[in-house]
Amino acid sequence: MLNLTEDLTKAFLSAQGLPVPPGTACDTPSAAHAAAQPLRGGAVVKALVAAGRRGKSGAVALVDDADAAQQAAQRMLGTAVAGLPVDRVYVEAREAIAHELYLSFVLDSYPPRMLLSCRGGVDIEQTHAQTPEAIVVMEVDPVHGVMPWDALAGWERAGAQARWLPGLGRLTAALWQAFVAADAQMLEINPLVVRADGTLVLVGAMLAVDDAALARHPAWRAFARSAAQRGGRIANDRERAVIDANERSPGAVFRYTELDGDIGLVVGGGGASLLQHDLMLAMGGAPANHLDATPGAGWQDKMGAVLDAILANPCVKGLLVSYNFLQLVRVDQRMQLIVDLLRARGIDPQRLPIVVRLFGPGEDEARRIAATLPGLHYMPPDSPIDAAVQRIVELTQ
Amino acid sequence: MSILVDRHTRVLVQGLTGAQGAQDTRYALDAGTQVVCGVTPGKGGAVVHGLPVYHTVAAAAATHAVTAAVVYAPPLAVRDAVYESLDAGLRLIVVLAENVPVHDAVAIRARAERADAVVVGCNTNGIITPRQCKLGGIGGDLPERIFVPGRIGIVSRSGGMSAELGHTLKCAGYGVSTAISMGGDAVPCTPMVAYLKRFDQDPGTDAVLIFGEPGTPNEREVAQYLQANPGHKPVIAVLAGEFQERYPPGASFGHAAAMIQDPADAVSAKRRMLREAGADVVQRLSEIASTLARAGVHPLPTLE
Repeated sequence: MLNLTEDLTKAFLSAQGLPVPPGTACDTPSAAHAAAQPLRGGAVVKALVAAGRRGKSGAVALVDDADAAQQAAQRMLGTAVAGLPVDRVYVEAREAIAHELYLSFVLDSYPPRMLLSCRGGVDIEQTHAQTPEAIVVMEVDPVHGVMPWDALAGWERAGAQARWLPGLGRLTAALWQAFVAADAQMLEINPLVVRADGTLVLVGAMLAVDDAALARHPAWRAFARSAAQRGGRIANDRERAVIDANERSPGAVFRYTELDGDIGLVVGGGGASLLQHDLMLAMGGAPANHLDATPGAGWQDKMGAVLDAILANPCVKGLLVSYNFLQLVRVDQRMQLIVDLLRARGIDPQRLPIVVRLFGPGEDEARRIAATLPGLHYMPPDSPIDAAVQRIVELTQ
Repeated sequence: MSILVDRHTRVLVQGLTGAQGAQDTRYALDAGTQVVCGVTPGKGGAVVHGLPVYHTVAAAAATHAVTAAVVYAPPLAVRDAVYESLDAGLRLIVVLAENVPVHDAVAIRARAERADAVVVGCNTNGIITPRQCKLGGIGGDLPERIFVPGRIGIVSRSGGMSAELGHTLKCAGYGVSTAISMGGDAVPCTPMVAYLKRFDQDPGTDAVLIFGEPGTPNEREVAQYLQANPGHKPVIAVLAGEFQERYPPGASFGHAAAMIQDPADAVSAKRRMLREAGADVVQRLSEIASTLARAGVHPLPTLE
């Protein structure tokens, strides 16, 4: 899932014909000054990071003129919010707020859901905890979608004033269409502002989109690359090198995430990676990384990048090369590649313990290949997956 | 006996002329599967492994009394490919592609429910009833290396782990009625509990082995089903990914997740719910055989 920054989100919503306040992304205090200059009713300056709770962490400033906007930008640029570096701010026209509403769509499981409330604003979670009935949760039938009359009925249940209902119905249906068009997994409008004259404007907007659909959204691909995260933080250099290897060619994708431990994991597939990670912790070992792979073209090059990353990690004291029983991949080819890569990097398994559990087609040949690199611990045939984890934990203790 | 597929299943391959479609089909034919035709738009008239290829599913299905489709379309073409098979009246469709956009998966699931069809996947490596029918890459070129006939059902959110579980059963003298990789995506087109209900009805299945992962309501729904049906067959569950609960979550983004997230979607909570509902939850695969035996399910003499 890719969390977009506010400038991208608002530009997308605006292109969908939805009402958002005018705003500009600025990377210097003087640019913020220039952006705020024409805004007569005052401005809002926000740290441009894809994180929530900005209002509560001092990353949002209400300013009355361009000088104050410049000062706010000066204060925010170069800091970090929620662990994310602030290298730009968003300067937006300030809205005169009569009422704050809340709306979100979430697609984290089936079916998608819509949340509506007439008590929007930064305390919405507190409202939910204390008076859950103030938040209306509706399931959305993906074939039917959200029609204006469905949304209107929901807003009525949420206690919206009658005169707002027609506009809210139409706006919510249009937002659902934007949600689908964006391949979004989460869209949150908070606050959805009702002006004194009853018109509506999307003041707070957060959009998280599906990585798997980025091919349909070229405008977000450059951001996706720069924002790549691993384990809830910005990717480090070794993780970035693996991401770059993935992007050099289509096909296989390796997701490499570093952790605090000392046992490098070259593991797969997805389920077996999870299982071995759990087992290792239960046995008193600590993984130096998690690895999850999608098979495909360019596998050799990308596996080389993963091994380079693991071996460059100064914490690593041992290596587990272990897959579930393989069905379509030839074990001997995989073993040959790993032995070649280890040899090319001058790794001596008699110094760095390496346990191998590669079972499946071509296994006999794989064992012969492994024997050419003395010291590799190849698990005996048919030994269970937990035995391989146990072995590397013992060897690194 | 088995669920969903057996020796009478007549299979159509969407994307038979592609590399993966052709390779998996070769292995499926060698394993005794009745693959009867293929479809690749623009390549009608071609012949692959002796099988005729058509431009459309409707034309192929009308000629060959097809009962199931396997889809080898690339991720962004999957939605239309599945709709085409649903429109042609097919009610069992297996989708291999990984990285299908979640909005596409959601749309497929909604259409499949309306049509009362079973769509397996996306992101599955297939389903197999040993020696009868194999759809997808499951089992590879020699499925008997992993899956032998028997009376244990498998439903796994991981394709690789369905093989690991099949192999674990084989090493302990057990076999498989049907093994299903249901796909590991956030929104599977058919939920885990739907397969479990079929296994419960299948006279050829004595017990079911499930493999679960973090996230999604799949395992919670299974627990609720077991709770409501005390006469269910023995269920052994292996759940992986609890380690994720030990690491800090990323920066929060919006309030919606905090308000609707179900704490029961974490692995530790799923384990607890499944145990309370009467399933046996094991962490090591080496415990599976003894757990089956304790439940009164024993290996059968091989069906040679």
